[in-house]
Amino acid sequence: MQWEILHIPAKPTSSFEQSTVDVLASNIEPKLANSLVRQLNQVCPLENLRHVKRVRRRSVEGKIELSVILCLSSENENHMEDIPNDVLQLINAHQLSPFNAKVARYAAASKEEWEEQCKLWPTSYHPSTNSADGVTGFNEEESQYVFKCMKVAFDLAKTHYHGDKVVNAAVIVDPSCRHIIASACDQTCPRSTLTNETGSKLVSCIEREANTTSTQSDADGLASSKERLFPNFSPDKCSDLYFGVSCLNPWGWAEQRPHHQHSEHQCGNNYPWHPLRHAALIAIEKAAERDRQLFPSIGSSKNLSILDHDLKFASDSSLAKRQKTQVLKNEHSLVNKDGTNSLSSETTRPYLCTGFDIYLVWEPCAMCAMALVHQRIQRIFYALPNPNAGALGSVYRLQGEKSLNHHYSVFRILIPEKALYQVESNGSDDCPLQN
Amino acid sequence: MALSVGADSPSTLKFMELALDQAKFALDNLEIPVGCVIVEDGKVISSGSNRTTVTRNATRHAEMEAIDILLEKWQKIGLDQSQIAEKFSRCDLYVTCEPCIMCATALSILGIREVFYGCANDKFGGCGSILSLHKSGSKNLCREGVLPHKGFKCTGGLMSEEAIALFRSFYEQGNPNAPKPHRPVQVLQ
Repeated sequence: MQWEILHIPAKPTSSFEQSTVDVLASNIEPKLANSLVRQLNQVCPLENLRHVKRVRRRSVEGKIELSVILCLSSENENHMEDIPNDVLQLINAHQLSPFNAKVARYAAASKEEWEEQCKLWPTSYHPSTNSADGVTGFNEEESQYVFKCMKVAFDLAKTHYHGDKVVNAAVIVDPSCRHIIASACDQTCPRSTLTNETGSKLVSCIEREANTTSTQSDADGLASSKERLFPNFSPDKCSDLYFGVSCLNPWGWAEQRPHHQHSEHQCGNNYPWHPLRHAALIAIEKAAERDRQLFPSIGSSKNLSILDHDLKFASDSSLAKRQKTQVLKNEHSLVNKDGTNSLSSETTRPYLCTGFDIYLVWEPCAMCAMALVHQRIQRIFYALPNPNAGALGSVYRLQGEKSLNHHYSVFRILIPEKALYQVESNGSDDCPLQN
Repeated sequence: MALSVGADSPSTLKFMELALDQAKFALDNLEIPVGCVIVEDGKVISSGSNRTTVTRNATRHAEMEAIDILLEKWQKIGLDQSQIAEKFSRCDLYVTCEPCIMCATALSILGIREVFYGCANDKFGGCGSILSLHKSGSKNLCREGVLPHKGFKCTGGLMSEEAIALFRSFYEQGNPNAPKPHRPVQVLQ
């Protein structure tokens, strides 16, 4: 079995029953069609069924027959009771005889699906132009890059494994220049032995990644942890080992676990823990902090600190991107420098995390998944499903909630079980993220 | 959402007014005007207003701000997890707008006792509008060793006109943080 990218669609792969919606329709006189459709669209718009055509036109026994959708039909047996008054008036005025029909609940994702849908009731079909919407959007090179990013997330989770519990890890990446924007691990439980974690909070994530690969991977305990980190991972069992994965067990933070207590007492509260500091939320926080440091000008026109002599953000050249990295490392010295170049970086500054991807070892919970909607993440990649609280397909499916003002694409990376033990050694050496 | 019995009692309205003050503070700072207070034993112990623009972190909702103040305070005086959990279970939140899916999950994770909100949030609402995260999860969904989803009591519609009026003033002055639209904004007739 190979590493694989699996698209997690906005709609569940559901049975036929769930994939349709019941509506009330009626045959109408063709000459009435125009005015009736206009009135119906006003009094009873089909908000969540924009892909469904209001009017069906077909020929029955050589004659053209027009039918129009009046409204959604209720589950109520006596459906006439729940028809909106405005629609009822139209029915009476034109002496329509309503009948029940089924229409497709979701817009078709493929031509084949669309053809199936149209057998029920005509829908419109817009082939996706966004490559991120489909699995086929990844070429070999992109796939390899995606896998490497996921390995970085796994490595990060492993460096934070301290013998008693596993944590989730999050890595936010800008795929256009292939740089890590931010990375983080869960901080929902007090940790027993952590010396450098508190201090490294502000260290640029890129430096941190470099550290991770050069020194920490050989640190004590990791060789043995490698085998215990994902021993025959079974998503249905949440053993004590996974208790610390915040998104798997969001309500577990308050539990005092007797066999862990001694370590908590030893170090007190010097480790920053917080029941809501899930890896994704911390990564978002770090990305926002980076944004404020790189583009400090927003909101105060007097304090325009321009970094443009180092940061040609409009440029696509890799040289400029490398300089961006260096600036990140030296951000403290540069942020306060008043530039003279008036070319404001505001125009090229990304809005929140627009265009960025996030890699998570475990599928996020509803809090994290919604936070990623708010922060406008473009794509989410996760490796292991979260049957307890996962919000990208397991329990909820936020990518399919139409009312949200932003929608990311979601992918699961299928990793062969053997590779779970090997990701550490493979992921480090030739990773393109560290240049 | 209908008001429950006692939801419009004087003290409830008083706390909601304090939440509205927080929302006005956000508005004065060019932030989306949402505010909240957290109440324990009839006393306001924390407050927060939306800070998504200044932080450039779209998760810095009023609720998150108020929660962080408490966690810092309680950790400083040496409370451990179970003591903090016990504290939250005696706290109520008053917020001017229905908590979003993120905040509703967070409130459930913390085990807050009760939530009162102003206007509904028909785009992101996590307390009934889009998802119902305030309802406790079914037991059979939970795996062995995993604690179940906690619910909390939730009442909406408190002084919602005031909350909506603040949103209206915000959008009239324009959201300075919104990205430039790709197409010109169409003005509806």
